[in-house]
Amino acid sequence: MKRVFSQCLKELNQFRRDRLTVALAFVLPLAVLLIYGFAIRLEAKNIPLAVQDFDNSFLSRTYVERLFATQQFVPTPLEGTTPTAALDRGDAKATVVIPPDFERRIKSHKPVTVQALIDGTDVNNARVIQNSLRATTQFFLRSSGLVPAQAASPIQPHLRIWFNPGRREALYIVPGIFGVILWVFPSMLASIALVREKEQGTIVQVYASDLSAVEWLLGKELAYVIVGLGEALVVMLVATLLFNLRFRGDPTTLIVGTVIYLGAAVAFGLLVGARAGNQTGAVQGTAIAGFLTALLLSGFIYRIENIPFPLSLVSNIIPARYFIDITRDAFVRGTGWIGVWYAPLAIALIGGFFFRVATRVLHRMQFKD
Amino acid sequence: MPLPTSRFWSLTLKEIRQILKNRQIIFLLLFPPTVQLLIFGLALNPAVDHLSLGIVDYGNSPSSREFVAALVANDVFEVQSFQPSVGALGQQVRRGQVSTGLVIPPDFGDRLAAGKSVDVQVLIDGVDANTAGIAGGYMQQIINSYGQNLARGSGMRPEVPVEVSAQFLYNPGLLSSWFFVPGVIGVVLTLTGSLVSSTTVIREKDTGTLEQLLMTPAQGWEILGAKIAPLFVVLMGDVLLASAIARLVFGLPFRGNYFLFLALSGVYVFVCISIGILLATISRTQQQVVLTSFFFNVPLIQLSGAIAPIESMPAFFRTLSFFDPLRHYVTIARSLILKGVGIGALLPEVFTLVAFAVLLLGISVNRFRAQLN
Repeated sequence: MKRVFSQCLKELNQFRRDRLTVALAFVLPLAVLLIYGFAIRLEAKNIPLAVQDFDNSFLSRTYVERLFATQQFVPTPLEGTTPTAALDRGDAKATVVIPPDFERRIKSHKPVTVQALIDGTDVNNARVIQNSLRATTQFFLRSSGLVPAQAASPIQPHLRIWFNPGRREALYIVPGIFGVILWVFPSMLASIALVREKEQGTIVQVYASDLSAVEWLLGKELAYVIVGLGEALVVMLVATLLFNLRFRGDPTTLIVGTVIYLGAAVAFGLLVGARAGNQTGAVQGTAIAGFLTALLLSGFIYRIENIPFPLSLVSNIIPARYFIDITRDAFVRGTGWIGVWYAPLAIALIGGFFFRVATRVLHRMQFKD
Repeated sequence: MPLPTSRFWSLTLKEIRQILKNRQIIFLLLFPPTVQLLIFGLALNPAVDHLSLGIVDYGNSPSSREFVAALVANDVFEVQSFQPSVGALGQQVRRGQVSTGLVIPPDFGDRLAAGKSVDVQVLIDGVDANTAGIAGGYMQQIINSYGQNLARGSGMRPEVPVEVSAQFLYNPGLLSSWFFVPGVIGVVLTLTGSLVSSTTVIREKDTGTLEQLLMTPAQGWEILGAKIAPLFVVLMGDVLLASAIARLVFGLPFRGNYFLFLALSGVYVFVCISIGILLATISRTQQQVVLTSFFFNVPLIQLSGAIAPIESMPAFFRTLSFFDPLRHYVTIARSLILKGVGIGALLPEVFTLVAFAVLLLGISVNRFRAQLN
């Protein structure tokens, strides 16, 4: 045990002396927090919409005004002759074409068709555009008295949005960022530390000593979990101040979860470092791989249920997925242990597996034959 | 500009041999791009459908069951469970087991039969704010149109004076992979290009062979040119690999001129190589490259619109995204692959991309030469 602690102290001292790495270890997570926290917004807004109004009557102008009354669409001029030209150039995401007899047909109670050409490239946007064009048209009809009020539905839905009634997107994104940051950086630092020992040959001295692989790795594990805790503290503190996050209820899930998650991340880094030979390129490749899986297969951006079958199995062994359950619960949902009891267990299981494999790779503490 | 000399060619040959001999680089050129394209293309899906719905049906009458059947008819919602009480339903929403809930009151059928209006309660898990908003909108739309049909009496077509006929161009099936894969080709090129080129440059610095090269009569531009040319060739190989995956696995249409796509991808490959060299000149060791690459790649990817839409970003980041070369490449790739436009519709993006390539290559070459002296 004492040897593990002295390993850990030696590692921390070495880390502290490399000023650039220390700076990057704390600046990079903050940079990622700021970029993701401010720049990822999924709700479709400011969609450029072009209108070709062949009627140019009172009713058609009212209709166009209605379309832009919500903040969802911004008008964009329709240059060129065809309605698709603006879509081709990407100046508009949709073009609405109002036929010349728009007002006349409405007044004579004949149905009118308004054509909407929607850029289907961005699938999510396309659906949102279609839905809100329909909804706005309904609203236009009711507000201009073109549809009798008695057609109202007898069933009245009362919507209640739980946990995040203002639908602030930061509450969804920022707890997810914790999962990405606290996976990528601690694991990267740990794997770099291990590869450095191989590159500089200091690992041979460890081989020659009577230190066992488990003791040596545990020392490193402990050291980088401590560094990771420092990162977690800084990132969460800045995030709560900048994005106005608050604890909902029991903070022990977050504390326990963070420690276990950092343990798993560092164990993953050690495993990568142990396997990588002395090539940093491999470490970088794995860092990207860890980053992408934490980003894509954890439900950080889009719903985890949308991941199709063979890949959804992989997402089950991504620890970030479980940690994000914990952070979203701690900062938004607030159920506590009843809601997320499984998450620390799953992370511990996966992390334990990583550590076990890492010690097996190094267990002989000898050069490879 | 002197003509390529035999010295240049022998240096180039040396670089090619080094790349081909280094199995790690071959691996980095083939494996991560393939996996990244597959994972990105399959995993990134913003669809809001098959939302789990928990139901408390106090009415438990034919009319309430009909109502539930209408709610789930178009697969936006999917009944996950029936709960005996609001309390039990609340538990499920709280634990995230269902993302939406519906409470139907006991007098649902009686009130409707009597022609009175009836309130139903809808609970939506708001943790995922965007999904919650869309789900709420769907819920209201479905319930309203069901109710209106009831009011008019069944069998009658709803009478709508103005109808919107929507037509989806470029991607009529609304496949999300069609949207993401062209952007991801850019992301993959950025990650692989900067990684491979920074690795090859920094290794010579690390092992000291760069000094040996400097002692030979080769000029600075020859050393650098001989480094860039093979990198360009192997990364163009990655472009071919990526477009083959896009075509064969995801069935992307490639409507535009493919050679134009290759040419503009080539311009972007220069951007990636420049970033890689820049990383290698900023960092002293390979470990620092690993860390500094995050400084460049994360904002580059995030502001490009390849993963999350640019229009929804705050104004500041929307402006910032114009300074992201990847953003322009992603626009070009989507336009050429999906829209099938000619170069005429892409002129602003093409000019910006070429400008970025020239600027970044200039900066990185200058920095590299400054380090040589």
